[in-house]
Amino acid sequence: MAAGKKIVNAVLTAAIFIGMEVAAVSLLYHNGEVQNYLISKSLQAFHAKVWGAGERIRYYFSLKGVNEELARDNFVLSQKLAACGEDARTVLEDSLAASFPEAGGFRYMGATIVKISRNKQHNYIILDKGARDGVQPHSGVISSRGVIGIVDAVSNRYAYAISFMNTEFSVSARIGKEGAVGPLVWDGKGTSGAILRQIPLQHKFEKGDTVYTSGFSSIFPADIPVGTVEDSRIENGATYQIKVRLLQDFSSIRYVTLVSNTGKEEIAELEKQEGRR
Amino acid sequence: MKQRFTVQYILLVLVQLLLCNYFRFTPYVMLSILPVLVLCIPTRVGTVAGLFIAFFTGLSVDFLAEGVVGINTFALVPVALLRRGLIRLVFGEELLLRGENFSMKKFGPLKVLFVIFLVQTVFLLLYIWADGGAVRPFSFNLWRYLASVLAGTLLSVAVADILSPDDRR
Repeated sequence: MAAGKKIVNAVLTAAIFIGMEVAAVSLLYHNGEVQNYLISKSLQAFHAKVWGAGERIRYYFSLKGVNEELARDNFVLSQKLAACGEDARTVLEDSLAASFPEAGGFRYMGATIVKISRNKQHNYIILDKGARDGVQPHSGVISSRGVIGIVDAVSNRYAYAISFMNTEFSVSARIGKEGAVGPLVWDGKGTSGAILRQIPLQHKFEKGDTVYTSGFSSIFPADIPVGTVEDSRIENGATYQIKVRLLQDFSSIRYVTLVSNTGKEEIAELEKQEGRR
Repeated sequence: MKQRFTVQYILLVLVQLLLCNYFRFTPYVMLSILPVLVLCIPTRVGTVAGLFIAFFTGLSVDFLAEGVVGINTFALVPVALLRRGLIRLVFGEELLLRGENFSMKKFGPLKVLFVIFLVQTVFLLLYIWADGGAVRPFSFNLWRYLASVLAGTLLSVAVADILSPDDRR
């Protein structure tokens, strides 16, 4: 009981003391220029320390939001980049006064991976964008570091994509921007290896050369860097089989971009007409 | 007895006002008897009451004397907070338990001088810092402290002698 009273007294005394000192400091602050400067400086230092620490904690917990914002920015930049590419092509066409067949533009959309499998031979990815967002089957899934997969089916809110880490997946790729083209497939072993096949023996390349998407499909745009040449060997004495180190490590991927060819249906219709002949 | 102390206390506060307004010969010396006034508040007066006395004494001097308003209050209130602790440290717990007051007759001049030096130091360190110490050279602050503590302690011994209730009995 006596101890409790002592504690109450101590707290009361401390509170009164602090109140009086605050009042005195307030008087100093309002009546002396030097004191005003010094107190302001001390308060600023205190605020910087307290708010700085608070800000660091807040920043740590807001990293998820920052990541989502970056993904959105990335998506917007991809769209701008695509628009720039289109403009450049138009200028080139005008300057050469030539008529090229229309290649069709691509539409981009940011998406987050909801689920991804990595330890199977037929891996898949589920994305948080679906039919209500305008996603259609056979849309490409890419990142700034390469090809991720192809959308196979869509529900209202989600999309199911076949991952590049799938033994049935193949994407047309070329070594360098002017080099030979061949199908690029997953090596079936890890999250960062692939194999580029059917490269004719007359084509020369070096270890470390970049492998890009060829653009010879209606799914992926051309010139997306996919990986680098790591090793090669001659297959059946006729072509090179090249081991490619992927730029995108599938073990750490979370944000992707959905890409769909706006002229895809027109191309399909044209192919259908050709098939009838 | 109580009334006499109060009257003497108020008169000494007026003396402090005179010191502040008319005895400023050099920026190195800041004469103050306020710490010893607070130290000599009877021991039966508790810390909270002591804080209030110090607060209003400081405010009075701040508003009536030249200088920055709030500076004496700022430096004097901590002296009131430490008053009983310093008395206990220098003169022992017994003095507080019996509700007696210290005096030079009872404890000798050295102990009284020492406790006055301590309260002067607390007061002056806070006063010099609040008076722009952070933007002045350290040597100036040091000399100001040494000169003020010496002058203030000597003057305060005389004040303590006047205020010591036991000596008046």
